Amino acid sequence: MDFVTLGGNLLGTISLGDIVLYVTPFSLFLFVVLLIFTLLIAISKTETQVEATFNKLGNTNVKVGLKEFKQRRFLSVICGIASAGAMITGDLFNFTLFMALIGILNIGIVSAVKQTSVLNSAYQYGLIAMMCSLPLFGGASIILASTGTLCLAILSQMHANPMVIFGAVLMLLGVIGESGVAPFFASKAEMFRTPGSPFIVIIHLSSLFIIVRAVEIFLLILW
Amino acid sequence: MLFLPNFVPDVFVSMYLPAIYAGLIVGFIGSMAIALRREEIHILILTDLIGLAMILVVSAVGTDLAEALILPGLVVELAETLAISEILISREMHKIEQNPRKNLSKSSSLFPVSFALDMEIMTTAPNFIALVLIAYGIFLTGFTGGAVAGGGIVLYMLSKKARGMPVLIIDGIAGVSGIAWCLWIIGFVLFFLTPSLWLLSLFLAACGLLLKVASKVGLIGLLMREDIDKE
Repeated sequence: MDFVTLGGNLLGTISLGDIVLYVTPFSLFLFVVLLIFTLLIAISKTETQVEATFNKLGNTNVKVGLKEFKQRRFLSVICGIASAGAMITGDLFNFTLFMALIGILNIGIVSAVKQTSVLNSAYQYGLIAMMCSLPLFGGASIILASTGTLCLAILSQMHANPMVIFGAVLMLLGVIGESGVAPFFASKAEMFRTPGSPFIVIIHLSSLFIIVRAVEIFLLILW
Repeated sequence: MLFLPNFVPDVFVSMYLPAIYAGLIVGFIGSMAIALRREEIHILILTDLIGLAMILVVSAVGTDLAEALILPGLVVELAETLAISEILISREMHKIEQNPRKNLSKSSSLFPVSFALDMEIMTTAPNFIALVLIAYGIFLTGFTGGAVAGGGIVLYMLSKKARGMPVLIIDGIAGVSGIAWCLWIIGFVLFFLTPSLWLLSLFLAACGLLLKVASKVGLIGLLMREDIDKE
């Protein structure tokens, strides 16, 4: 499918050697929204959770230490930039790399917490993300082998042969696993149950945006 | 529809499908093994097997673009393995902190055990081999050359028993690595912006990468020796 059908009028292309970025209202909107969210996250402070204590009347505040706060803010800003890059990129290769980077950063954001249950689910999510790098990179390489290019502008003009469909299905599996959506959301939802709200939100936000963008890319390749 | 240059032999072309099947089968076997095992550290090691299957599938393509996919894939796998093992260790630490009376149970296999390296080659010929490796690495340049030269530095550092490298030197090696990395990135950006300067950017990238990888691997050797020789 031509990307004008999905994303609106072509506003222009940015050519960097063999990497060609294309700008449509759709990708520009996603890119700008993610950058705004990243900016908001960079200037915000963490929340303080109030937990009820068992067998007593008092409440306890769960706070985030300064060192943990700095590390988490840094990683979530990087995660926001990586997701914004995945929105604007016009190259399947760069999309794959940004996806894998987001997978690591999601683990990194929660890696410094003290709750063992959260660490447990981060471990489970990390295992899934590692296993899914096989279909993610494998799918991209199969598409590369059967078409000879990873540039979306050229891929969208080609007719999909069975090998491309197989590669795209593998890549879909990889994206689902790396971003931790539908079958794997249980471990990821558990990861949010830790103080430090605005930084945790980027985990959720990046996977939402990545899925929207991945659907666009698969329609471009397959239709 | 095949996009193949004429000089690629048919043998290599016919290897592509078996390689992909082999990669997918290895990945499948790895997943089955993960489903069977229950100890966490074993699952982590088996997950790395699936990462190797990923390298197999990507490298079956065999073009330079595929190589560009392999390197980040390898780095991603390594980083994820490190991150997850770090998570495992910190989780065990928290468990012990919460309940110090409970001794290390079967999960104690997570902690590294010091071991002694006793090899003939480490006492007789480290100088010569290290020199040859470093010279060959500089000749190669780039990532491979950096790895070879770094291997030479590691060998030298492991075999020479001079203890207690001052912190300043370690910081200095790390600084060289950082500056060399900047050279690499400048070369990389130049490649995209002004393709006519390809020779300059190629040499910037190759020499930067050589210095960076060699000093990084040297640092690993330094840290390893400090760890291993600790009785």
